[in-house]
Amino acid sequence: MLSVRGLSAGYGGLVAIRSVDLEVKAGEWLALLGPVGAGKSTLLGVLAGLLAARHGEVRLDGEDIRLLPPHRRLRLGVALVPEGRRLFSGMTVRENLMAGTHALPDPTMRRRNLDRVCELFPVLAERTRQIAGTLSGGEQQMCAIGRALMASPRLLIIDEVTLGLAPLVVESLFAALARLHEQGMTLLTVEQNVPLVLAHADRGCVLSGGAIVMEGPAAVLRDDPDLPRHFIGF
Amino acid sequence: MTASALLARWANGPWAGSLRSAAIAAVLMAILMVLPPFLSLYWLRLLTSVLMLAVIAQGMNAMAGFVGYPAFGNVVFFGIGAYGTALAIAAGFGMAPALLVGAVPAATLALAVGPLLLRLRGHYFAIATLGLNEVVSALAANLSGLTGGAAGLSLPLGAGTASDAAQRAYFGFVALFAASLALGIFLRDSRFGYGCRAIRSNEEAAEATGVATLRVKSIAWMLSALLTAVAGGLYARWVGFIEPSLVFDMAISVKAFVMFLLGGAGTVFGPLIGSLLIESATTLAWSHLLKLHLLVLGVTIMLVVLVLPDGAQGFVARHWPTVRAWWRPRS
Repeated sequence: MLSVRGLSAGYGGLVAIRSVDLEVKAGEWLALLGPVGAGKSTLLGVLAGLLAARHGEVRLDGEDIRLLPPHRRLRLGVALVPEGRRLFSGMTVRENLMAGTHALPDPTMRRRNLDRVCELFPVLAERTRQIAGTLSGGEQQMCAIGRALMASPRLLIIDEVTLGLAPLVVESLFAALARLHEQGMTLLTVEQNVPLVLAHADRGCVLSGGAIVMEGPAAVLRDDPDLPRHFIGF
Repeated sequence: MTASALLARWANGPWAGSLRSAAIAAVLMAILMVLPPFLSLYWLRLLTSVLMLAVIAQGMNAMAGFVGYPAFGNVVFFGIGAYGTALAIAAGFGMAPALLVGAVPAATLALAVGPLLLRLRGHYFAIATLGLNEVVSALAANLSGLTGGAAGLSLPLGAGTASDAAQRAYFGFVALFAASLALGIFLRDSRFGYGCRAIRSNEEAAEATGVATLRVKSIAWMLSALLTAVAGGLYARWVGFIEPSLVFDMAISVKAFVMFLLGGAGTVFGPLIGSLLIESATTLAWSHLLKLHLLVLGVTIMLVVLVLPDGAQGFVARHWPTVRAWWRPRS
């Protein structure tokens, strides 16, 4: 579905990722792993169109999307849940979710997506009129995922879903993601909780120092003795 | 489904807020429509200028309050509207087409420079809009062949007595004020409005969420320009004489800014509340402290920022539960 070739990007004089090749197949859950500062968030930003790539290509179903702005990519089905949730904190839950439909012109689809999100996260359905900034951390994360789902994405990219959340909440969030995955959603997640994400994902790849250093089925990566080495940085 | 059941469903639905605001707006309109016979010419003029400033403040609120872009130089659209309308009237146009001649260039300018200036943020954007106002105001002052230059432009008098003219101006601004409330409700409760408020809340997140930020900002500024320009056109007809230093006066923008902040940024009725408060305060200050009224305005700005950071409407909303609890007997 999503195919990345020789992708490089950075900030000013800093190169954050260099010549990354990545393939996300339709229907799979790919876990992007790696230590802090490896370039994971940069890569996701480039995929969503928030940051320009310096070299390389990004293709969605064969179509080059490298130069498209974020809202055009969303229209083609690529949605990003940014790190740290970034909700519109002064707006209600419903307003946050509806803001997510800006790239979705069809009103019946908007209603259907709202129903789907409320079904996936029943706690949001109870709190549609609550100001998003007053939700708990877990509920905010649900709202952020829901907001991304409102645009009918085919590929959902999530950056650090469990950041700063209690274990129980993490558990229920992963259960929701697993349900989405079962329904056929393609997922690309960045996650620090390696055992947890490898228990759910189909495949994993490790980004370190701006390049992909390891790749393979989740079950194989889980038991690979080399895996921890990449996180320590030797 | 009976009418009452339908109403109940609406009152609990997502549009409850819009309905409530529309109801308040309708009551306000009814009051404004029946008021003139009870007012002397002096009070009618004062109320007209309150409404005019409420409209300009709503134009400012649309950009600075809802989208979070301090369009300090918005008075440029007021001036363009005033000049366009005045020139069209002088050329023999009727009032409605003349207003269009003022409004269309203003909206076009906003759409043309919006995609450039709206890449700047905060103070930088504010300063750029100030520059825009300086440029256009200098053009108006120097294209004497078209605008009459710094000497200004006099309009032919309308039909009827001075009181008729004052009534026409009043009802013109009442209609425009209704439109400004509609714009406020639209920006608060529509999907487009969610996009605007998302930008104000967190522009990067709005971008990631699929809001075409530059387009949404430009359209919002165009709507703001449209409102402000029609106000300028009505003003030109009302006072009958305009000059660049009068209609491109930054003091109008400053006043509008203070008003929407005082009333409540990003609220529907905030600009009206602010305009009422400031206009009555300045009228008092004018009559008693002619030389100090700018000082009063400056102190007001500081007090608003310190004491009412979310404006009068926000202040009331914040303290309403306390008041209600105190007012209602405990059961």
